[in-house]
Amino acid sequence: MIRSKITGLAALGATAALTLAACGGSGGSSGSNSSSTSTSYGQGLTSIINPSNTPSSGTLTFDLSNTPDSTDYQNTYYAFMWNFVRLYSMQLLTYKSCPGACGEQLVPQLATGPGVPSNNDTVWTYHIKPNVKFENGHTVTSADVKYGVERTFAKSVLPNGPSYYQVLLKDNKYPGPYTDRAKNVMGLTSVTTPNATTIQFHLSQPFADFDYVVAIPQSTPVEPAWDTGKYGGANFQLHPESTGPYEFQSYTLNKQITLVKNPNWNASTDTEAKQLVNKIVVNLNVNANTVDNNLMSNYADIDMAGTGVQTAARSKILTQPSLKGLADDPISGFLRFAYINTKVIPNVHCREAIEYAANKTSIQDAWGGPVVGGDIASTVIPPTVIGYQKFDLFNALSQPGGDIAAAKQQLKLCGKPSGFTTGLAYRTDRPQEVAAAQALQASLQQVGIKANLQGYLSGKYYTDFAGAPAYVHAHDLGISQGGWGPDWPDGYGFLDELSNGNTIVPAGNTNISEINDKSINSLFATAAGQNNTAARTAIWPQIDKKIMGMAAILPEVYQKVLLYRNPNVTNVYFDRPFGMYNYAVLGLK
Amino acid sequence: MAAPLDISPAQAEATPEAVIQGAGGRKIEGRSLGEIAWMRLRRDKVAIGSAIFIVFLVLVAIFGPFLVQSPFTYHPNLINPTLSGPNGAFGGISGAHWFGVEPTTGRDVLARVVVGARYSLIIAFLATALAVIIGVFFGLIAGYFGGWVDTLIARTMDVFLAFPLLVFAIALVGVVPNSAFGFSGNNLRVGLLIFIIGFFSWPYMGRIIRGQTLSLREREFVDAARSLGARGPYILFRELLPNLVGPILVYSTLLIPTNILFEAALSYLGVGIIPPTPSWGEMLSDAVQNGYYYIDPMFMFIPGLAIFLTVMAFNLFGDGLRDALDPKSR
Repeated sequence: MIRSKITGLAALGATAALTLAACGGSGGSSGSNSSSTSTSYGQGLTSIINPSNTPSSGTLTFDLSNTPDSTDYQNTYYAFMWNFVRLYSMQLLTYKSCPGACGEQLVPQLATGPGVPSNNDTVWTYHIKPNVKFENGHTVTSADVKYGVERTFAKSVLPNGPSYYQVLLKDNKYPGPYTDRAKNVMGLTSVTTPNATTIQFHLSQPFADFDYVVAIPQSTPVEPAWDTGKYGGANFQLHPESTGPYEFQSYTLNKQITLVKNPNWNASTDTEAKQLVNKIVVNLNVNANTVDNNLMSNYADIDMAGTGVQTAARSKILTQPSLKGLADDPISGFLRFAYINTKVIPNVHCREAIEYAANKTSIQDAWGGPVVGGDIASTVIPPTVIGYQKFDLFNALSQPGGDIAAAKQQLKLCGKPSGFTTGLAYRTDRPQEVAAAQALQASLQQVGIKANLQGYLSGKYYTDFAGAPAYVHAHDLGISQGGWGPDWPDGYGFLDELSNGNTIVPAGNTNISEINDKSINSLFATAAGQNNTAARTAIWPQIDKKIMGMAAILPEVYQKVLLYRNPNVTNVYFDRPFGMYNYAVLGLK
Repeated sequence: MAAPLDISPAQAEATPEAVIQGAGGRKIEGRSLGEIAWMRLRRDKVAIGSAIFIVFLVLVAIFGPFLVQSPFTYHPNLINPTLSGPNGAFGGISGAHWFGVEPTTGRDVLARVVVGARYSLIIAFLATALAVIIGVFFGLIAGYFGGWVDTLIARTMDVFLAFPLLVFAIALVGVVPNSAFGFSGNNLRVGLLIFIIGFFSWPYMGRIIRGQTLSLREREFVDAARSLGARGPYILFRELLPNLVGPILVYSTLLIPTNILFEAALSYLGVGIIPPTPSWGEMLSDAVQNGYYYIDPMFMFIPGLAIFLTVMAFNLFGDGLRDALDPKSR
């Protein structure tokens, strides 16, 4: 079953994989050739730029305009960190290092193969490679993987990471290894280790997407002995135990991270990462415009945040052909949209009027235009996510300026021909979202829908305001701006939190539209128990169409980012699962 | 030591040395304090220039919004969507858009500056009025009565001065619902901003008035009034207050620019006027936070210049007014 899933994905990314094979085949020699060849705009989306396996004695420099939530792989939820931790960690499964759709395939990294489900998808078994070493030379065992999973339960010490294991595993009351007194007992009963190379996860309900869960860095092995004393608990991030090609040399909080080669890493057991430079330095808290300047003047090699260049650098890059050839403009996999609340605006025709009236072009401009804002969206699932199917219910693509006639028609059907008034929530500290909310307001005004802008600070947006249904009802917030990026690139990761009826919670709600539709809920249940990848993938567009049919989400843009690649860096390409360049394989000329 | 007196009776009937005759033979009339101050002010060209500018600004704020185009109309055809910036030089300045257009949206900058002037000035004036009323009242009472009343009020003022105002403002704007006290939307926000700014700037006025009252209450005319049987309220508002008009006027004028800047700061932080209604601070904040100043410096320059000129005009006029009313404090 799972095998068919992997092949299905491979078929999807066949063209990209061929490109990879072509580049990868020639190895080091092509690296030296490519130094003279110029690259073109967007080339990093489909092929590897400067492919090379030649080690360099140089230092690879990352710049970051803020700080990571944590460098502890069990305690981070930032996409750029999930990408970066692959330099010093191995997971059971990981994403294949290749451009395009090929990169969305899961491949075994620490495990010998994909998970083997049994008992109606509630027990997942993985066998791990017997000869993988930690940075201290100790051999990785299944108990170390289990200890890593146990750490994710210690939310009071390590609060940042996702909670998939708590949600999915049977033993969801486990307090975490720091409060679990009997250390040698290994208390998490839902994960068993029959022998040193086998690990089993016991789920409370069928979950066909479990392979994606173990591909999250939280499945990284940790020796219990390392997680004590100086580098124990919250301080683990100062020197996370490495199984990857590099290991921590130093970490000065808020300033700099230095990684050096891990002598115990073996390229033959880890095919998805490369060890090509002597040292990696991450400079933290660098001004965002300085990061761009550093990249373009070769003081830095990679903008670690991966969210694209600033306005100033954008105009430089797009107006100078020499720089433009060094840039990529990918769809990041993130959707900008507006929730239309089905309880506050119960009549579907009123919601459809909003869908039709919205001026998608001016909203796109507000997000930054076609290059850094994104492509105008007509579906909930973006084109780079597994399960995307193109359709255009509300003429977003054919009439991007808004279909005023259809909107007025829907208002008549709704019984409010002269329009209505509703609240429009947005986050005041996100300038582009402020602009998008104003553009939406201005376009709704044309058909008589008066949207009162209600701004909130982003820190409390999901916990207290837009994400609190009681507040939403009391304040008549019919429309709320939102954004969504999936934890893994398939329809489940994208749609579940937005539209599954059982995800509506009193605070921290992400299903702000309050979609609780029987047919959608049952489709999710079917998908969770469906091991056939093709059949499961076919469910996602159905849910997408139902959400759009309810007019419960107004898709605005499939976010695009303008990424600049330093020409001195090798093996650069856009990695779809993370929405940025792949950090695990970079080298220097 | 005085020289010994040796005055003959003839000399006692002295005639005034100066002839009471103005230049050109006009008769000299007695001048009131106000007239003297006005005369001094008139000679201060900088102050008069500033005053003219302020009058112009007030007229713009009142009538301007009726004369300019809509500040809310999008002009997507004037914008380069790829770079987000306006087409054409200097932020898209043209015959139709004298100050250019806003990046991303193409809204007319002149219209937004003019409508923004209305909001910025309303908030600054009313907040100043609130601060002056509270400040003068408590300053008078503290200075006149002294004792524990003075201690209480003076310490309260210290508390207000030490209060992290910006944090409070952000929190308050965050918790107040979207409609309250019979207002909603932007009217409520304007009221809230006036309250926050006014309520937290009264101690500056209060301390000055308290100090002035402390010295005034020992003066002979107060003693005279008291000996005639006048009581507290009469002395406070009929004897002391008229003598405080000078400092009140001066410091109100100097408080207005502070409040304009404060409103801009709040808008900059996203807790000012609700978009799409323009305000100067909101325009500046747009220019900075979106990085527009790199691609379209005019968009930052114009609201910045408006704030700069307004604040400078009020400050110079306030200085001139102080020199005119109270030259000793120069």
